Amino acid sequence: MSTRRGFLKSGALALFATGVGGVPTFIARAANSNKIVSPYKKNKKIVCIFQRGAMDGLMAVTPFTDENLKAARPNLFMSAAKNGATTPLIDLDGRFGLHPAMKSFEPLFRDKRLGIVHAVGSPNSTRSHFDAQDYMEAGTPFNKGTSSGWLNRAVGLLGHEGATPFQAVSITSSLPKSFYGDNPSLAISNLQDFAIQMRGNPMAANMASKSFEELYDQTSSSLLNKTGKESFDAVKMLQKSDTKNYKPANGAVYPESQLGNALKQIAQLIKMDVGMEVAFTECGGWDTHYNQGVETGVFARNVTDLSTAIAAFWTDMSGYQDDVTLMTMTEFGRTVKQNGTGGTDHGRGSCLFILGNDVNGGIVHGNMPSLAKENLEDGRDVPVTTDFRSVFSEVADTHLKIHNDKVLFPEWDGKKIGVMR
Amino acid sequence: MKKHFQTTLSLLFLIASLTIFSSYTATETLNNKYSIKFPYRKAGLTERQAAAHLLSRFTYGATPKQVDEMVNMGLEKWFTQQLDADQPNDSLNASLVAYDVLTKSNKELSNTYLDGGQIRRKATKEGLLPQDSTGKLEYKERKGEIDSFMKAKGIKPEGELIRQLVNQKILRAAYSNNQLQEVMTSFWFNHFNVSLTKNESVRFVPCYERDVIRPNALGKFGDILLATAKSPAMLTYLDNFRSVASDNNNNSEEGSKRLRALYAQQKMLAEKGDTGMQSKEVSQKIKGFKNSQGLNENYAREIMELHTLGVDGGYTQTDVTNAAKVLTGWTIYPMSDEYGGAGIKKMIEKVGEDKLIQQGFVHDGDFMFAVNKHDKTDKMVLGNDFSGKDGYNEGLRLINILAHHTSTAHFICKKLAVHFVNDNPPQSLIDKMAKTFLDKDGDIKQVLVTMVNAPEFWSKDALREKIKSPFELTISTVRALNAKIAQPYQLFNWINKMGERMYYYQAPTGFPDKANYWINTGSLLNRMNFGLAMAGQRIPGVSFNLAALNDNHEPESAQAALVTYCKILMPERNVDSTVKRLTPLVTAPAITQKIDAAAGKTAPPQTQDQPTMMASSDDNMMMSDAGSHNKKVLKEKVNRKKSADYSIQDLMVNTGNKTMLSQVTGIIIGSPEFQRK
Repeated sequence: MSTRRGFLKSGALALFATGVGGVPTFIARAANSNKIVSPYKKNKKIVCIFQRGAMDGLMAVTPFTDENLKAARPNLFMSAAKNGATTPLIDLDGRFGLHPAMKSFEPLFRDKRLGIVHAVGSPNSTRSHFDAQDYMEAGTPFNKGTSSGWLNRAVGLLGHEGATPFQAVSITSSLPKSFYGDNPSLAISNLQDFAIQMRGNPMAANMASKSFEELYDQTSSSLLNKTGKESFDAVKMLQKSDTKNYKPANGAVYPESQLGNALKQIAQLIKMDVGMEVAFTECGGWDTHYNQGVETGVFARNVTDLSTAIAAFWTDMSGYQDDVTLMTMTEFGRTVKQNGTGGTDHGRGSCLFILGNDVNGGIVHGNMPSLAKENLEDGRDVPVTTDFRSVFSEVADTHLKIHNDKVLFPEWDGKKIGVMR
Repeated sequence: MKKHFQTTLSLLFLIASLTIFSSYTATETLNNKYSIKFPYRKAGLTERQAAAHLLSRFTYGATPKQVDEMVNMGLEKWFTQQLDADQPNDSLNASLVAYDVLTKSNKELSNTYLDGGQIRRKATKEGLLPQDSTGKLEYKERKGEIDSFMKAKGIKPEGELIRQLVNQKILRAAYSNNQLQEVMTSFWFNHFNVSLTKNESVRFVPCYERDVIRPNALGKFGDILLATAKSPAMLTYLDNFRSVASDNNNNSEEGSKRLRALYAQQKMLAEKGDTGMQSKEVSQKIKGFKNSQGLNENYAREIMELHTLGVDGGYTQTDVTNAAKVLTGWTIYPMSDEYGGAGIKKMIEKVGEDKLIQQGFVHDGDFMFAVNKHDKTDKMVLGNDFSGKDGYNEGLRLINILAHHTSTAHFICKKLAVHFVNDNPPQSLIDKMAKTFLDKDGDIKQVLVTMVNAPEFWSKDALREKIKSPFELTISTVRALNAKIAQPYQLFNWINKMGERMYYYQAPTGFPDKANYWINTGSLLNRMNFGLAMAGQRIPGVSFNLAALNDNHEPESAQAALVTYCKILMPERNVDSTVKRLTPLVTAPAITQKIDAAAGKTAPPQTQDQPTMMASSDDNMMMSDAGSHNKKVLKEKVNRKKSADYSIQDLMVNTGNKTMLSQVTGIIIGSPEFQRK
């Protein structure tokens, strides 16, 4: 309760002062409280993007000097050498090349803000999307019964429990497995919908809203009572800000896509100082079994969306960049060899991207062996040489100061590889 | 005088005892079938309150006047009928006639309803799509041809199967006269969860619910456990269909030897330039070999952890591994060419089914025990020896042991008590139920009777203590309003929005059955918005008549409406505090100032974004029964005042009673009291 009051004193009163409808009494109480707690905006924030469907890490960040790869992918392989019509890979370090459609990542990488981890994945060799996503989001690759998600446990370990309804927000239509658990977390598909709605009749909506607030305030069910309060607090916080006419900073332009919109809303929440510390969203279309394309095509479109949305988010975050670290994840990678239909099948290791001022950027981390057959997992896939938990826990450790790996990732040895500064 | 007094006294005594006795015998004779005896009076409840409690837990919500019907019939008789689950359902069945999915077998569904990839592959095979370039563009270009090809072949998109599945669940829950059967079907489906998120399982889910879960929902636990174990839906969902003895595993020495030999053969053929049948066969063999990845412990773990013993039920990792070995070879009888079906089909044709059965194969409907995939070593599970020679019977015995285990009895009974009593049921109740479970061979009906005969079911810790899931909230609203559903899927969209995407829960645990899973900041607002949308008749394809619920008497005032509809929608609940809290809002004008004064603040005018909200495309969907005239009045009024000080009284004055009524109803549906069951 003390953190809530502190928050209200430090920041929220200004929001509520011009808010609509009844002002809850606890705000008046909070205004008189002398407790001083540092305002939320000093909190660090982590933003996670789950790329559902298993991204082809070898096409996103290609070990272009590897002749084995060239041989395994006669129609999909791209070179970093400029030759005629084709757009070559962006040479990152003489060994790895970024897909040309991800050119907006290049300056971030050169600026050492963006780090890449390759051959990363789960120690569990399942190639089922269902299992692998589940294991990765639960953070327990060998235990299906885990009822909580790793990000929900992270929220618990932050120790700011119950501070604000917005502490953990997923911009998705339903709560992702990463957010399952006992700590408060919130799924919103669209900030503008987060209100009592009577389409076309704001007067009635306003009346209904007040009625509900009254009823939830008096109910004998403590869960309904507490959640009701939180809901109306959250509604009021959002009502204050003009979510509809949001203008990104620095001329940032988000792509008109699901991911672009989600990251834009996450940026809004960060700037609103509503106390968000963990944000999550997702993007799909990575299951490229058919005709995944090369410089253009479905994969190129996907990575264009991913990289421009993230780059726009980073531009928009100017002034907040020290507080924010963004990380992508995908359940597994794809086969080294291309299949018979111009695509790739389910594999093992893939790559992920981390962006932030405390990231050990400008480096392709991890251990990618030569892709000779004898080095491959089951003779076909990029071997997983870095456990995803190694990266996730290092980001949580450095950025969020969560040091309890045993709770965050039970059954894990805690080895880290230096992806953060 | 004294004698006279004595006579009177004894007469009185006689009458009193007769009354008590007769009420006893009446109940006794009614209930002898299941020995039902509800101790609600001891808990201080009236018969009507008891009826309302039973309705809230064993149905998807009371329909108008259902409490009266139950009291007339007798509570115990009603419960007996629900346990028997043999009430006719003519009108429901008539509304399900159009759903062909419900009449088809797993095999028919597998070969009729195909996913995008399968349709694409079929079209490619047919030459409708180019072999190596199956991008979206080509698909779009050829869509007409592909559609007519599908039509000619009787192929339908998988999405249609899912739509029918979802719709029928909503219709059954809303309208079945065997409500308890539907509640229990939902309970067991969630307990033995399978999910549409697993591609391989999708087309098996309709038959899973219809043939495996519903017929066993009020039967014996051992039967439902075995039926799920043998079902294609579970076999695919938890991977047991591909779990084979580890000597088939390519990680074993013998396995890798065989694989190396196949590779050598392939290389030789390639060098010879052979691209014909032989080379194809070899690569097929390699593929099949690699697909069978050996032992898969997934199902063996979950059958113990989630289906029977519980995570603390006293098993070890060795038990899991050995149980997986016992269950190797439990797989699906081939019904399509997918998932290795073609290979098995060929093998059956080659050897002949009779001969296979002699060798120990079992073919039972869609289930097959493939003895050649079975681990023939001796194993021990939970202290029981299993001889590797017993084949299919090993699995049967294991499942029987698990079904009758003490841990299972406690685990299942706790889960039932959590569902029907409260989120933290008392141990005393679980123990009573578990004793019945063990004494009566896992008879679910008897376990339920033990539960309702116990005082714990009727205690104040149970009453109104469960929170409705989004599905339960939605269906209870439909039932309370006597609503007609023309488009069930519209309700699914709301249920999904509130956090319960039925049939899509990814994890084998099923949806958690506790309030704090369902109630969070976002979902709670959606519940309130659902109430308003529903009551405002703004959910397409769902209609009802509010006035008819009150026998077409229009309430005289907003407050009268509040009281009347609280009582109709929440029978036998104490609605005093709800009414008390809402009364000032529905009667007093300028309520905003009052609230603001209490908080020491002055409210500013309503924000400017209201006109844009009003201009939204959904404008024409609002309050369809209020008529366009009222809408216009409302608009004008908002434009004129642009302030927040409205009450229901204002609304009523300006828009007529119907709007006022729907507003009140919406608030009741979204109220905390209506979320409880």
